[in-house]
Amino acid sequence: MSLDLNRVAGSIASMASELALQGSRRAEALNAALSKYYDPGDLASLKQRLARAKTSWLVAEIPGSLNSRFDPPPPPADYRVLATDGSQIDIDRHHPARCCLINIGSVSMQYGQNPGSFLESEPILLSKTDELILKPEQGTTGREVSIEGSLLGIKRTAEEFRFLAALAGRLQPGFPALALVDGSLIMWGLTSKDIPDFVVDIMLDKGVLKYITQIEKLNSSHPVALASYISFPRSTDVINLLRIAVCPYQIPDCDRFCAGAANGERPCDAVDGVNDRELFWACLTEQQRSDVFISQSRISKTRYGCNLVYFFYLKTGNEIARVEIPEWVALKPELLAITHSLILEQCRKGHGYPVALSEAHEMAVVSGADRQNFFYLVDEYFTGYKLNTSASAKSTSKKNRWI
Amino acid sequence: MAIRGDYMNEASSRIAEVTQASTAGFFAQCYELFDLPPLGSMIKCRDGGNEIMAITCNARTSSLEPGRRPIARGKNELTEEDVFRSNPQLEQLLKSEFEAVVIGHSANNQYHHYLPPRPVKLHSFVYVCSPDEIVEFSRSLEFLTLLAGARTELPSEELIAACIRFIGACHVEPAAFTTLAGKKLAQIFTDDYQKLRTILLRLKL
Repeated sequence: MSLDLNRVAGSIASMASELALQGSRRAEALNAALSKYYDPGDLASLKQRLARAKTSWLVAEIPGSLNSRFDPPPPPADYRVLATDGSQIDIDRHHPARCCLINIGSVSMQYGQNPGSFLESEPILLSKTDELILKPEQGTTGREVSIEGSLLGIKRTAEEFRFLAALAGRLQPGFPALALVDGSLIMWGLTSKDIPDFVVDIMLDKGVLKYITQIEKLNSSHPVALASYISFPRSTDVINLLRIAVCPYQIPDCDRFCAGAANGERPCDAVDGVNDRELFWACLTEQQRSDVFISQSRISKTRYGCNLVYFFYLKTGNEIARVEIPEWVALKPELLAITHSLILEQCRKGHGYPVALSEAHEMAVVSGADRQNFFYLVDEYFTGYKLNTSASAKSTSKKNRWI
Repeated sequence: MAIRGDYMNEASSRIAEVTQASTAGFFAQCYELFDLPPLGSMIKCRDGGNEIMAITCNARTSSLEPGRRPIARGKNELTEEDVFRSNPQLEQLLKSEFEAVVIGHSANNQYHHYLPPRPVKLHSFVYVCSPDEIVEFSRSLEFLTLLAGARTELPSEELIAACIRFIGACHVEPAAFTTLAGKKLAQIFTDDYQKLRTILLRLKL
């Protein structure tokens, strides 16, 4: 038996009982967070304290109000929703073929008088050296890196945006449109210290941000909003903001004032233990959104420029979602209204999750069987060209599973 | 039964494509969702210069992907059309398909009311037969023997009765054709009075 569930059941029971014990403590923290959210005191002074605070956590910036909530405007009569999603087959280092695959699902749906839809999946094989290896440009320093593992995931995200921009570019002017992706607009994967600067240039500046800007430019002829949708978010940006609001020190400085204090003993621990999702589940009514906040993530602040990442929380009915939008959407009421109303419409049609994203996922998904068939096909062509198809001894051993 | 006018010309009479084939029958997927030929109607596929004639049965509309089941979507919609208007992706995710029983073929410009030497090819186009073709083919009623022996999910009485009603409607004198067909059925079902009676009741003779 590979996994003996009987042996781990006891630990699972302990985990559940511990979480149950934390229930009352979390309820207290949520109440404290809610009361500070509803009554934060002087907002201008809070914003000043936020700007000067030195904390180790990510704190939302307040561009407008903290606690305004907005009902959705009615959706336009005719509109289009675009979405892309991707899957990948990573390089199998036990297979003689050094290649990987990205599969992008694209969806375009027209609603209103002339409804219609376009669903497509596009597989992209990466096998040539210049497709698999990223090198710094001549004259710059840095070691070359191979596109596999987490970097393949980043490349896939860039491809998702490339396809989204292409879909948006094919839109007929006249109707408002919303372009959607799943997950975060913030390329967290590129914040790792292991990623060389030239890779960030390629994947972000010449990749994701270039395509987001292409979508933004379409707004000269018709309104096109862009948003990313995070289901069941675990972020605490707004809760962290409330931690600063409850901090008794004029200029919060964790290292200076609370370095020696244990968790639970710091003044701001009164609102610790809950996340933004729980806060907004308690204070938004169905279909309402929060006010917009600015992500303080370093990569967004330093590199995104006019695509600086804003976000709001939305009660879709089934859950609280975090919706991330670039600054040009956040600052334009018309685009913000489209984003709010159309995401709700998408969730209503998709039984709780945007239907365009769910169809894009269906188009993109690569199952275990697909992966196996992909390598069978590679083997078949390799055999045809009399190339070596023998896998590693480890891989053969795993497949045969002899006793 | 009226034959749809747009079935008369070649391009618009092409309604489906063969997705599974055997000597005695085939399955076909419609090009347009819900554009299913009526039960018991006559269709044909090309095989080189010849044609393979068949009768439709067991039509269904279902998910394109076996793992994805359609769910109810119309609770807040006013009409059934609104369900598709609000969910335009459905047309891309569903398929309409039907089964067909082969009842004969043409060779050397002549109809033969027995099985062809080979099954239709996969991806053959499926055409709706014109009333003239139907009348010409049904001058002989031998195809009813093939239909009576067909193994389909549908009760054969239902299929045979629907086919005779459909073909009869193409004839100038439907009642005369139906009477002849009834006599042929009496020969086929000499030892199964119950089945014969069930079919005749469905022909309103």
